[in-house]
Amino acid sequence: MAMRISMGQYLPGNSAVHRLDPRAKTIAALATMVSVFFITSPQGLVLGFAFTLVVTALARVPAGKLVESIRPLLAMLGLIAVIDLLVIHEGTVLAALGPIAITTGGVRVAVLYSLRLVVAVVAGALLLLTTTPMQLTDAFDSFLAPLSRIGLPGHELAMVFSLMLRFIPTLADEAQSIVDAQTSRGGAMAEGSVARRVRSVVPVLVALLASSMRHANGLSRALDARCYEGGAARTHWHPMRMRAADWATLAVTCAYVAGVVLL
Amino acid sequence: MASSSAGTPVASLSHVTLEYEGGVRALDDVSLDIARGERVCVVGANGSGKSTLASVICGLLAPDEGDVTLVGQRVLAGGRVDFAAYAKARRSLGLVFQNPDDQIVTSVVEEDVAFGPENLQVAPDEIGRRVTRELHRVALEGYAKADPTRLSGGQRQRVAIAGALAMEPEVLVLDEPGALLDVRGRRSIMRVMGRLSQAGTTIVHVTHFMDEALEADRVIVMEHGHVALEGTPREVFSRGELLTSLKLSEPFCSRLAMRLSQLGLGVSWTCDSSELLDQVASLLGTGSDGGETSAAKAAGDADGMGRGDGGSAPLAIEASHVRYSYRSTDAREDSSPALDDVSLGVPEGTSCAIVGQTGSGKSTLLRLLCALEAPDSGSVVVHGIDTSRRRDRRRLHGRVGYVMQRPERQLFAETVLEDVAYGPSNLGLSRQEAEARAREALALVGLDDREGLSPFELSGGQQRMCAIAGVLAMRPRTIVLDEPTAGLDPLGREELHAILRRVHGGGVTVVEVTHSMDDAALCERVVVLDRSHVVGQGTPRQVFAAGNEAALESAGLGIPRALAWARELARRGVTGLGEPLSLEALAQAIARHADEASNGGRSI
Repeated sequence: MAMRISMGQYLPGNSAVHRLDPRAKTIAALATMVSVFFITSPQGLVLGFAFTLVVTALARVPAGKLVESIRPLLAMLGLIAVIDLLVIHEGTVLAALGPIAITTGGVRVAVLYSLRLVVAVVAGALLLLTTTPMQLTDAFDSFLAPLSRIGLPGHELAMVFSLMLRFIPTLADEAQSIVDAQTSRGGAMAEGSVARRVRSVVPVLVALLASSMRHANGLSRALDARCYEGGAARTHWHPMRMRAADWATLAVTCAYVAGVVLL
Repeated sequence: MASSSAGTPVASLSHVTLEYEGGVRALDDVSLDIARGERVCVVGANGSGKSTLASVICGLLAPDEGDVTLVGQRVLAGGRVDFAAYAKARRSLGLVFQNPDDQIVTSVVEEDVAFGPENLQVAPDEIGRRVTRELHRVALEGYAKADPTRLSGGQRQRVAIAGALAMEPEVLVLDEPGALLDVRGRRSIMRVMGRLSQAGTTIVHVTHFMDEALEADRVIVMEHGHVALEGTPREVFSRGELLTSLKLSEPFCSRLAMRLSQLGLGVSWTCDSSELLDQVASLLGTGSDGGETSAAKAAGDADGMGRGDGGSAPLAIEASHVRYSYRSTDAREDSSPALDDVSLGVPEGTSCAIVGQTGSGKSTLLRLLCALEAPDSGSVVVHGIDTSRRRDRRRLHGRVGYVMQRPERQLFAETVLEDVAYGPSNLGLSRQEAEARAREALALVGLDDREGLSPFELSGGQQRMCAIAGVLAMRPRTIVLDEPTAGLDPLGREELHAILRRVHGGGVTVVEVTHSMDDAALCERVVVLDRSHVVGQGTPRQVFAAGNEAALESAGLGIPRALAWARELARRGVTGLGEPLSLEALAQAIARHADEASNGGRSI
């Protein structure tokens, strides 16, 4: 509760990006995320940032909220950058202190690699901020349709994915209150030796697992009560339809990816 | 089923028996019909089989024996299940159950309401119409795009109801929909149910709250898997002794009527509030002269709200000008503080109730009082220890026991004894000493014969007691409880309160967050929270004084039922009953008044 997890949280809105077909949006986001690994030059990096900035503006997602929703990941990227900086020894040495040396190659890799991952993280966050879990489920459902045709549980996988997004905040809240309860019973979380820490996690994990099982039971009852049957046909309140804007989105994304690869 | 005049029943069970794995017989030769448009209430103690009955009626559980016909589908004949018929029947049966969190499958309200109709393959235009209609019906039009996890419990439960109704069920089954809600949330659910019933929906409502059963056409009382009693609320609740033997209570009104006739007043039994009010009013006559003194006294008390520390006993808990905000990573959350300028004092050895509606900051306050977190500004001092430093907070864990909401969620160990001994052994006690304390705590909550079982094998009510024992075993000087009775049946609530009284009798300071003003009135002190602020504190008499009723109302709170009755009688001209805070006090006041009226020879 002290830290509310907001990953995968939808930000209601009615922008051009919100209105896109979830399939087009998902493909565009995934393509953008994969394409960052082809960014090897500052020019490519500039193009990547320009592209995500334009999409953020079109989605009318306030920059502050975007940053807040990806802050935990940004911290991790910062850490990776520092490690790159210290570990990579290429090019000329800029500074050295004993065995630790900072090189031009290290700086280049640290800056480039972490910044290009920012592009990927922002693309993912934009997808989740502008697409409801149900739309995402529908999109994955249609991607996985070939699996269903050969007898694999495509629909179910999509539904599981959606329920996961739905239950992450609930379980996070519950984990917090269980930690509270065990702490007030004198359990020492994140203190002492490694063995002690591992032992102190058990009461929380077991309780959280039991809680998840309870949720799973309740949820299966709820899905039954609402006549959800795995592979059965269902209608959609907002049927997905690829419009001109969606095809245009895919075209622009293709052009962008080509640009990134070429630069 | 042959009767044509009254129409065929919409659900019909005949000699139904259902056994769970392990041989627990949840339903034992149950037969009943539910007529179209009927509003049926099912009551019974925990483990009486009422939830199982609800699952059978909404087609989610198939019994082992008997015949079941649901919405015209013969789903079970002589113990043989017809799966196709079940699938067909389920499309016309709706279910809403206890925990709204488990029923909501998406993170946008309107999409959740649309989920059921989508599964029924309703056309998109029609889905849109239904979503609008049902959100309007449960008064959530303004929340169509909201994230359900950000709504209050009552609102979430209404989302679940809208989701069930959007499937246009012929029968709506509600399995303890209000068990986890505050008073306001429960009232809103009851209003929705009333409207549905008027519109002709068949309703089966399982509940622990007897007052809710009064609104049903028929009440079914379950015991050990069979129907123990059935009839109109009037018929059922007139059987007071039988209900007590079934571990159930009666509605407030019929308990009052019973008590008054025990006290020798000429009151005939009723479970209709307005009827009892009329009886008492005519018995006592109007225009008595005792009114002014108590009114004046009430006004004097009202001045005390907000102050009222008075006593010089050392404080177990002292909070001054506390401010606290959650560090949110949520893009949409505003950063208004969860607590703002909160000051309060709880003298050592007292019992204190904290009341306030969902979102008022109660749970946050408890986290600070239990030294789980330090305030952003201001100070919290517990048993003389300031909680601002982490090291000091650690010293308080154990001295302040914290029973969180639904504490059974914290159970984890292989045996009950080990789980309860977890706290004491964290205090650095030897294994023997820790287990001795655990056994002592288990005896206190009445679980001494269960120490070898896995905590997950206990019933729901026993799990709660086990978790509470785990806190008591640390021998806290102060125990802080967050809605400890939520979801318990009347007997469980009674048992828990008896345990708390015993603990309090041993000199422990008891702080309890509660939704029930009746429970709050039994404490020595009451603190009222509203939108992050303390808006009142003092003795129950001060806090619930006549002058504060409007303030409590605006904080989303009511007053104890006995007091509400006394004030209603005062409006009808029966004054001088004082400010009774419990049923017993109210009954005694009425009896005294009747005595005076007959002896005093007052002129009318």
